[in-house]
This record gives sequence, C-alpha cells and structure tokens, in this order.
Amino acid sequence: MSCRICGRRAKSEFCKRHEEAYKSILEGYREWREAMSISWREYLEEIAKNPYSGKWVKDVASYLLAKSAAEEKR
Amino acid sequence: MKILLLCEKPSAAKRIAKALDDNGDPIEKRIGSVPYYESKNGDRLLIVVPALGHLYTVAPKIRNRNVYPVFDFEWVPRYEAERNAGNIKEWIDAISKLSREADEFILATDYDIEGATLGYTILKYACGGKEEEAKRMKFSTLTDSELKQSYKELLDHIEFPMVEAGICRHMLDAIYGINLSRAMTVAAKRWSGKYKTLSTGRVQGPTLKFLVEREIEINCFVPVPFWRIDAEVEINGETFKIEYERSVIKSLREARSIVEDCSGRNGRIVDVNVRELHQSPPAPFDLGTLQREAYSLFKYTPRRTAEIAERLYLEALISYPRTSSQKLPKSINYRAILESLGRDAKYKRLTELLLGRESLTPVEGKGYDPAHPAIYPTGNLPERELSQPERRLWDLIVRRFMVAFGEPAVKQSIKVLIDVNGHTFYLRGRRILREGWMIFYRPFLRAEDVILPPLKVGQTVKIKNVSWKQDFTKPPSRYNPSSLLKKMEDEGIGTKATRADIIDTLYTRGYVSGDRATVSELGLDIIEVLSKYCPEVISVEFTRDLERSMENIKSGSERREDVIDRAVRHLKPILLRLKESERLIGEELSEAIRKTLLNRRIIGDCPVCGSGKLIIIRSRRTGKRFIGCTNFFKHQCNVSFPLPQKGTVSSANKICSKCGFPMIRLKLKGKRPLTLCVNPKCPGKDGMAK
Repeated sequence: MSCRICGRRAKSEFCKRHEEAYKSILEGYREWREAMSISWREYLEEIAKNPYSGKWVKDVASYLLAKSAAEEKR
Repeated sequence: MKILLLCEKPSAAKRIAKALDDNGDPIEKRIGSVPYYESKNGDRLLIVVPALGHLYTVAPKIRNRNVYPVFDFEWVPRYEAERNAGNIKEWIDAISKLSREADEFILATDYDIEGATLGYTILKYACGGKEEEAKRMKFSTLTDSELKQSYKELLDHIEFPMVEAGICRHMLDAIYGINLSRAMTVAAKRWSGKYKTLSTGRVQGPTLKFLVEREIEINCFVPVPFWRIDAEVEINGETFKIEYERSVIKSLREARSIVEDCSGRNGRIVDVNVRELHQSPPAPFDLGTLQREAYSLFKYTPRRTAEIAERLYLEALISYPRTSSQKLPKSINYRAILESLGRDAKYKRLTELLLGRESLTPVEGKGYDPAHPAIYPTGNLPERELSQPERRLWDLIVRRFMVAFGEPAVKQSIKVLIDVNGHTFYLRGRRILREGWMIFYRPFLRAEDVILPPLKVGQTVKIKNVSWKQDFTKPPSRYNPSSLLKKMEDEGIGTKATRADIIDTLYTRGYVSGDRATVSELGLDIIEVLSKYCPEVISVEFTRDLERSMENIKSGSERREDVIDRAVRHLKPILLRLKESERLIGEELSEAIRKTLLNRRIIGDCPVCGSGKLIIIRSRRTGKRFIGCTNFFKHQCNVSFPLPQKGTVSSANKICSKCGFPMIRLKLKGKRPLTLCVNPKCPGKDGMAK
C-alpha cells in the first residue's frame, strides 16, 4: 500500500510521516476548540494556510479538505 | 650534530625555524616542492621540516569498495587510500630522505591528540621507527619566546597515551565509517544500479539523528492560537508599553473580557521593585565558545571560525585555538601581553585601565584542558594587513581576554506593578549603573537602557490603547551550525577538532542544506533506515561511551586494543543484519537518492505555465544543458532557456525582482559565484546587453 499523499510505502492511508502529522492534527483540534469556537473544516482551512504549520501537516490538511470536497460533490 | 625537527604545517615550520635560528634567519631549502629550513642553534644544525597535516591514514586491507564487513585495517600513506592526495608521496619521500641524515629527532607538531598521532605515524613509517627515541616540544603559542623556552625544556619523549587514544579514534572512525557507508552505498547501488556515495559514521549518525528529530517535530507541528494583551501607560506625558501579567491568554473569550475590563480605566501603582544585578565577566574562550560567539556576532560557521583561528595561531597572534580550556594561567604573563597590545592605538586606553591595577586576576570558566590554556592573544601585533574576518576574530579574542580582568557590571532592573480594575500589568525599566567588564566588550553588546521616570506606590497612571492580539504557537527552531555544535558538545559526542568537519560533511553529502539546517529527503531516509535496521549505530549513548573510553586511554585506565575489540564485537552483528536486509535497504534509499538528485536540478516554479517546475536538462542529441519545464513532457508547456555550458549551475533560491523568473547561481572555477536571472529577455539585463 502506498501513501495517498506522497506515494511512499504505507501500512494504512498514510505513510509513517503523514500518519504522524495526522495524529498532530487530531491533537491540535482539541486545543483549537478550547481556544475558540471552530468547526473541523474551518480548522483544516486555518492550518492549511498558517505559515507556522509543518509541511506534512499542510499536506494532510489539504488532502483532507480535497477529499471532503470530493465527497460533497458526490 | 643534525637534528630533524618535525612540524605540522609549512607556516609553523617557518616560524619555528626562525625562532630557533641563532640569527633569526634560517636558510630555506627545497626537495622538489617540499620546503624545509636549516637553522643554526649553537653547535647544532636543526633541519626543520613540515608535514601537511596527516601524511598517513587508516585504510582497510581490502580496498574493494563493494566489500563489507571489513575489520582488518592498517596505516597507509594517504596517497594510497585517498583521491586528490597525490602530492603526499613527495612529502613522505622528502621527510624520509632528510631523516636518514639526522642524528636526533624532535616532534614539534601541535600538542594535542591529532598532532601527536600524525607525528607518531611519520616518525614510525617515514623516518624508519624513530617514534621511541624522538623528543617533544610542547608549546601553546608560536611566539619566539615560547618556542625558545620549549626547545630549551624538551620533553624526553612524545606523549604515548595521547597517541594511543589518537590511533584508537582513527581506527574506530574507519571501522564504523567505512563499513556502514559501504553497506548503504552498496545497497543503494545494487538496487538502483546508480552509484551515490552515502555515508554515516560513529559521530555523523547520531548528529544527523538530532537534526532529523527536530525536522520531524517541525514538519508535524500544528500551531495553536493564543492571545496577547497589548497596552500602554502614560506617565508625565511620556508613553511606555506595559505587559499583562500573563503573556499567553488561551481563549478568545477571556482576552475579550480582559480588554473590556481595562479599557478606559486608570491604573494604580501597587509595587515598585528595584533590583541590582551584578554580572560577572564571561569566561575566556575555548574553541566551542569562540565558534558560537563568532556565529552569533558575524555569522561565521564553526568551521570557518576554526580555520581563521588556525591562521591567527600560525601567525603567532593568538594561542593554540583547539582547546577545551577556559583558564588563563599566570605563566602566560598577563601584564606583558596587555603592555604589548597597548601598542595598538585601538587598545591603548583599554589596556591602560587594566595595567593601572596592582594585581591582575582573570575570571575563569569550568572548561579544562591539560594540554593548553584558553584562547588568548599573544600580544604580537599583525605583521601584515589582516583580512576583515581575521581582524574581526582577532579583535574579539583580544577584547575577550581583557574582559576576563574586568570588574562585574552592575545593572539595575525596575519592575512596576500596576493594578487596573483587578488585573495586573508590568512596566519594566533597565539601565547599566556600572559598565565594569562591558567597557572592553562594547562593540559586541546590544542591550539598550529603558529609563523610567520617578514612580511611587499609590500613584495613579493613565492606561491607554488596551487591545488583544491573536498569535500562534511557533514550531521549535531549526538547528544552525552553531547550535548544532553546542548540542554535540552537550551530548559529549565528537571532539573540538572534529565537530565542525562532521557538520560540514552532513552538508556536502546533501543530507542537510541552508543556514537553518533543513534535512533533505535523503537525510530523513538515512536515519529512518538506520533506525529500522540498526538503531545501535545512531545511539548517542554508545558514541558517548566510546568517547569516554578514549579519554580513559589517555589517562592510562583503558587499553586501546580492548576498546577496539569491544567496538568490533558491537558492530559485527549489526553489519550482518544490514547485509541480510540489503535489498530492502537499497529500495528504501534509492527513492530518496532519486528525489535528492532531482531536487538539485530544480531551479524554481515555471512562471509561464504556473504549475510546472523549471529544471536543468541535458540534451541527449547535443549533450548541451538548458532549462526546461517539467510540463513539457505532458505537452502543456514548451518554455526553455539557454544555460552557460561551463561551471556549476544550481538554484539561487531567489526570484528575479525585475521579471519574477527564478534565478540561478553560476560557479566558475576560481571565480566568485554569480547570481543570474534565467530569462534572457529580463529587463534587468538591458544595460548588460548595451
């Protein structure tokens, strides 16, 4: 199986690097919600464009946004 | 009687020959291109001959680079084991010839582990086994007086425990470096059919691991919002910034409520806390602190600083720089050095301040080195015009030496607590009451005074412009060459002589790039592979343990053979495991190599189609190189630009300010690199065409 984002070898949807970034995104959402009222989608949009977000975090956030947009179209 | 005096480098030989010649005018001679000097010293003729650093190196008996593991190593002339070391043969032959005519031998290389080891190997192999009978000169500066004294007080023999530790270090580095590097290079080559030198080593691996761990943290970082409260206070018509009691407000709701509570209110001073701080002078420089200070002030990499310091040492301007000591012994004669420095108009007034004292006692740091004191100026003034970097570093060393004799600086800090409707704000002031040592270091200090008007408890003040501001948590900083050096020191891996070179190797291998060290795909994959198949070789603990053993060899409490034996026993099963997994490792590394090589060819984004990348391509038909867009192969963009056919071309990581096209960096041999826009029709080139 290969990573949906970078094509590297993966055990699930993401490779080890992007999986790690995905876990950080989930953890980060908890902290964002404590700080302000924000939906999952708004959160992903924020971190996808934030200059301090890590590169792999941006990759995963953009991928998740694109995936949900595609699902909505269907 | 003829005495052969073996030095480390040509410039040191020249200086030593001059210092030991009765008339200060030795005769310069040559064998081929190898210079040597004849100095008359009483009834003795001194033949002063330089080496070129190490003339011998440790190499495996099996030279085939595809074979591993290899554990049989030997000392061989460098020209037999290394490319671009052809000139070494001439030096070894010249030293051998001169040694045959000599009655006695003196080793006058640097008094440290490398100086002792390189001297030992030359005395043993080039001079035909003279290592046992050779005497030793020990010195920390190349000044005439110290060299003469050192010659008068020759040590009976070379420092064998240091040599043992040196041989052990070279053996361990070769056993680890050659085997692990061969394992990875061979694995990648067998899988992809392409050759790319991959390397790791006993210290290189753990160092790269530090960088990779930081890179992962940065790449996985999610910024979290927080809020700050900004406010100002007006006192006697003057406005000052004040800080809210908490620098971080974790929710927007709370930030809004604080602003609401404080806006339009007056504040009342509830406390004025005045403190005096006595700041002792910083310790004298050892190599590590000098490298860090030079990076922080001038942005010189550790390696560059070491090279400049080495030049200053060879010109007898400073003491031996590869030292761990932060102590200045009395024997160096502080007063004589200061008097001598005072001949320079720039230091006259400063040295007079110190020379006016009855006694001089320097502040000292914890760093200790049995072989050398801290880095200090010899008192000699430059005999030639120094380059700007040399002048800057010498000035820094001179001033830091004077600082050591300075009085503590006295600073006053004032913290005023202001209550605003139940919320506390801080107003801070600071000023220097007595400069003390800072007077000597003034060009390198940056702090500015914040002077507050007289304030008293109970006073009412006007609070203005209360607002909240959103900010985000920041990822950890990347290492730079200086902070990485500090990390290596703190973790106890590498030595003062090798750390800067190891950092440089990480850059030349393409594992790391940029001033703020960014790890490449290849660097990430190397550590991923090593962590997966042999985590022991990137273990800081094991490397640190070996460093300790080498210190023990120096002090005589461990034997070199035992340490090497232990290391080989540790490495053997690891290499067998690597061999068994060669195919998998090759597959994992090959992709990263392909990406790294591709990234090196990318110049930047294509400004014409907007989605492709401009890349350096070599035409199969003509063999010429040019720039094309990656979208050409998808028939979406046919933009192309010519390139100069000579020199090395790489991305300048810049966009042209005139036309917005990417810029390239062109490096021609022996010339300064040029930064050029790829666009031949760039308006910035109009003037050039005319």
